[in-house]
Amino acid sequence: MISKNDLERINEFVWQVPREYRRDMRVPARIWADQELLDDALQDKSIEQLINTSTLPGIVQYAIAMPDIHQGYGAPVGGVFATATSDGVISPGAVGYDINCGVRVLASHLDANEIQPHLSDLATTLYRNCPSGVGVGGSVELFGEDLDNILNRGSEWALERGYARPEDLPRTEEYGRIPWADANKVSHKARERGRDQLGTLGAGNHFIEVDRVSAIYDAESARVLDLFENQVVVQIHCGSRGLGHQVCQDYVDRFQRVVLEYGIILPDRELVAAPYTSPEGQDYVGAMGAAANFAFANRQVLAFHIRRSFAETFKGKFMDFDLHQVYDIAHNMAKVETHAVNDASIRVLVHRKGATRAFGPHSPTLPPDLQQIGQPVLIPGSMGTMSYILCGTTGSMSQTFGSCCHGAGRVWSRHRAKKEIRGEKLRAEMQERGIQVRAGSLSGLAEEAPAAYKDVSRVVHVVDAAGIGKMVARLEPLAVIKG
Amino acid sequence: MSYEEIDHTADWAFRVTAPTLPELFTNAAYAIFALEGALDVQSTTTREVRVEGIDRQALLVNWLNELLFLQETKRETYQNFVLTHFTETELQATIHGAPSQPTTKFIKAVTFHNLDIVQTEMGWETTIVVDV
Repeated sequence: MISKNDLERINEFVWQVPREYRRDMRVPARIWADQELLDDALQDKSIEQLINTSTLPGIVQYAIAMPDIHQGYGAPVGGVFATATSDGVISPGAVGYDINCGVRVLASHLDANEIQPHLSDLATTLYRNCPSGVGVGGSVELFGEDLDNILNRGSEWALERGYARPEDLPRTEEYGRIPWADANKVSHKARERGRDQLGTLGAGNHFIEVDRVSAIYDAESARVLDLFENQVVVQIHCGSRGLGHQVCQDYVDRFQRVVLEYGIILPDRELVAAPYTSPEGQDYVGAMGAAANFAFANRQVLAFHIRRSFAETFKGKFMDFDLHQVYDIAHNMAKVETHAVNDASIRVLVHRKGATRAFGPHSPTLPPDLQQIGQPVLIPGSMGTMSYILCGTTGSMSQTFGSCCHGAGRVWSRHRAKKEIRGEKLRAEMQERGIQVRAGSLSGLAEEAPAAYKDVSRVVHVVDAAGIGKMVARLEPLAVIKG
Repeated sequence: MSYEEIDHTADWAFRVTAPTLPELFTNAAYAIFALEGALDVQSTTTREVRVEGIDRQALLVNWLNELLFLQETKRETYQNFVLTHFTETELQATIHGAPSQPTTKFIKAVTFHNLDIVQTEMGWETTIVVDV
């Protein structure tokens, strides 16, 4: 097992596993962390999994671990790497099963103190209007070509159907539509799983949370995003549901059948890969884009239900209970982007698994109003703790392929969390702190206990100090809604 | 039944043992639904399943993922698995289960991560990591 002695220190917040550490590494691996977070990363197989990604054909510069890295399958959660589109590979297992799992933040003009008497009603209404849990049917009935339209056009479909507002789309990564998506590359089985899942939260670590803004760190960015102290905001964390899981399974299986034909030798079969330009690679690109569009549409429909819930709860009580979209970001994706590598500008496929895009100011893909501040980066903490809004920086562009962390990162297994924490006690503790909790499963609640996660504030401070993200605002929970 | 949960930071992992390779496959299937807490119901539905894989690891992953697919789309859980045909690259099975109640314990997918199926003195053993 790798230890601290095997690492070279690049600067205060960056450690490197040299390429010589293992014979099959093609590039070094770098870890963004402080001493404590590095110790956390070294306690499980996170770094071994990171090193595995550094063996993929066509990988450039270095494989990256964010400070919230933890052990996953194939690639670690909190892992980023880029492969050259010319001769590199694409790996479905390094994107993950929940394609475009992501976070959306909506913000109101309500003051947290004002809504306190109505918070319980709001939590109950959200829980009722936003379907959650396993095996719960979708909140939108799809007909005819609907599913194809969702897969090809994402949030644009939602806009046509009245689930989105025009101003929501520029405040969504890729404007809520992956242009290279191809519904024809999505299997019948994946469609069958997705058909009745649009507008559902799912289970596991997915949630809706009502928060208040408890600190502003960057007044100018906060002004552009219309954020202010004690403001009521809402976070949504969910992804592409069973449709995305099936797309990943389909292509992991298909890639297993051709990987040896392409002469690709891997340390872990879950990292199975095919050349980006191969027929298999291109088919997966189209299917992954389609699953990502399903996830954008899913969060958009949930946003519609949240707006509806605010109206049901606050109509007649407050004049302005509207919610505007701050941003929506993807966690699990691979995207073709242009980055500087060894002083040359090249096209690369950036795989981000449990990591976010974090483009800096003046990035051409950002809408005009975000050009000056950079892309918003939404970082939910563990349940019942703080969350953060950051912006991408020039540092994220130069150091991490325009990428940043995605959350707190687990340190305990779910098994240990279930053994050591009782869901009833956790709920009671949160309610004592004034947090409303609506959860379908108490054992599911226990698995997501804050003690099972790293300290998100520590993760965010490392990101900020290392210059790969800039802190804008901090959020604290008022109500948690889970499956 | 011969399975045990193993610590894994983000997801679930479990070790399965069996005297024979086909029994390893049925024990693993049982473990999936037991870990989800979805057992102990009277069997009322029966389905036929046919799965292929390029080798026995792929066959195991595809078999378990097929069961998860049926669980999600048919809204059923399964507890009894009878293999009617079994080779290292293909199997057919009759599975028995019942309509499932909505539950929050849920496996997204079975992965190939560090997957190995090994023969031991006692029979067969494998460790499976699932995305939850």
